[in-house]
Amino acid sequence: MYHVSKSYMAGQYALHDVSLDVSRGEFLFLTGASGAGKTTLLELIFAAEVPSEGQILVLGRNVARLGAGAIPALRRRVGVVFQDFKLLQERTVEENVRLALDVVGTPRREARSRVFAMLKSVGLQHRRFHHPLSLSGGEQQRVALARALVNEPEILLADEPTGNLDPELTIEIMDLIVKASTRGTTVMVATHDHSLIERYGKRVLRLDAGRIAEDVPSAVPSTGAVS
Amino acid sequence: MNRGLMLILIAFANSLRGIRNAATTSSMAILTIAIVLVLAGAASLLVENMAGVLEEFGAELRLTAYLDDTVPPEDQRHLAQTVAAAPGVDRVVFISKEEALRRFERIAGGDELLAGLDENPLPASLEIHLRPEARTAEGIAILDASLDGLPGIDELAHGQEWIEGYARAVALARTAAGTITIVLGLAALLIVANTIRLALYARRDELEILALVGASRTFVRVPFMLEGTIQGLLGGLIALLVVFGAFELVLPQVRTALELVVGRADLRFFSTAESIRLVLSGAGLGLLGSITALVGGRTA
Repeated sequence: MYHVSKSYMAGQYALHDVSLDVSRGEFLFLTGASGAGKTTLLELIFAAEVPSEGQILVLGRNVARLGAGAIPALRRRVGVVFQDFKLLQERTVEENVRLALDVVGTPRREARSRVFAMLKSVGLQHRRFHHPLSLSGGEQQRVALARALVNEPEILLADEPTGNLDPELTIEIMDLIVKASTRGTTVMVATHDHSLIERYGKRVLRLDAGRIAEDVPSAVPSTGAVS
Repeated sequence: MNRGLMLILIAFANSLRGIRNAATTSSMAILTIAIVLVLAGAASLLVENMAGVLEEFGAELRLTAYLDDTVPPEDQRHLAQTVAAAPGVDRVVFISKEEALRRFERIAGGDELLAGLDENPLPASLEIHLRPEARTAEGIAILDASLDGLPGIDELAHGQEWIEGYARAVALARTAAGTITIVLGLAALLIVANTIRLALYARRDELEILALVGASRTFVRVPFMLEGTIQGLLGGLIALLVVFGAFELVLPQVRTALELVVGRADLRFFSTAESIRLVLSGAGLGLLGSITALVGGRTA
């Protein structure tokens, strides 16, 4: 990310002159007060927003210049998890997770087996025919995480993934996210839960009013890091 | 199974799911298309049958030249040869006074009407049959001019005025049917477009999630296009069944009235090709409606 700014109104910046380098396989916490620019930064990475200034290189593609037709291909390589889970209530757990495979036309048998394996890894294989509303918040977030990871993305972005969960479930979800990073997935987690940041000891980028206020390197070596 | 085929199957499954989830609005769209196509189909059926009658009249179109009684029989036959050589004439049949009388008695059912008369009052005549290309107003006018003033011909009679009036009625009916079809078709198009727009709105969360997981615009849009097409297809099928049902059930009840309007009772239903065209026009309406909605809507 090179001198990136994002402005929704003239003179008012959600992000201002942000330069950032995240290595492949790195784990990064984004923190800062509400409105600091955490969500905007994540949205720029998965091309939900276009930067007003600067360049963003994601997986070798310049997102700032990406045409509308190229965005889906990028998003298939980037898994995203949100605070509100974004699950389709009228579909089963299996169907929700399978969405990420359906969009690339994965044959049904292969899709089922990959979804089952993914749900097993998040401990929900026995709930695959349930609907999201019958699940707890933690379970719903695990479904969302399974959907984000089933395509084996190279990047995982999580925007306040534990914001709606109690402390016990928070650890459960974060452990799963950390587990994904150990397989070489680059992970960026936006949170303002300081206990999480302290617990995992990963690199922390603190944003303040759209600018990088602090960039604290990881206290533990990143397993899949490529310098 | 390859990925392309899988994507097609998924698109079909998604469109059927969309129709099922929005059963009420989908039914409204199907019903609207069906009503439009019933009206358009019925109008087209009526017009086509009227046109069929016109063609039959055209095929039977002939002129009658009534001959002057003073012309001797041998000159009458000579006159028949002259008329046969006129432009547009296919053949000429000579009807003598005696033959005319026999025909009259056959139609009148006896000779009581003419019993009091001393002599046969009916003139000899020439039945002039036209070539197909001359069975037009222009063709008859040319023939009329060439026979005009020919010695021995007393009067030239033809049903051209009646046929022209009927042709005008058919043309008017065809224009009215066309206009009705276009106006109702446009209304159906807007209703289908609104149905798809409602579906887009109702499924905005799904569209957002699909965009997040990397669905292409085609993957998102095709199910909506299929949804419109399927709705149109069902509407078209219903319309065909209703028009057929009406044709089979109602027609015998109103046969006499239709004979007066259309001119004959042996009306025909759509051919297989026309039936398929009616159903496909429903599918076309549905597809066009969904494209209209997608062009204006935000799908990815």
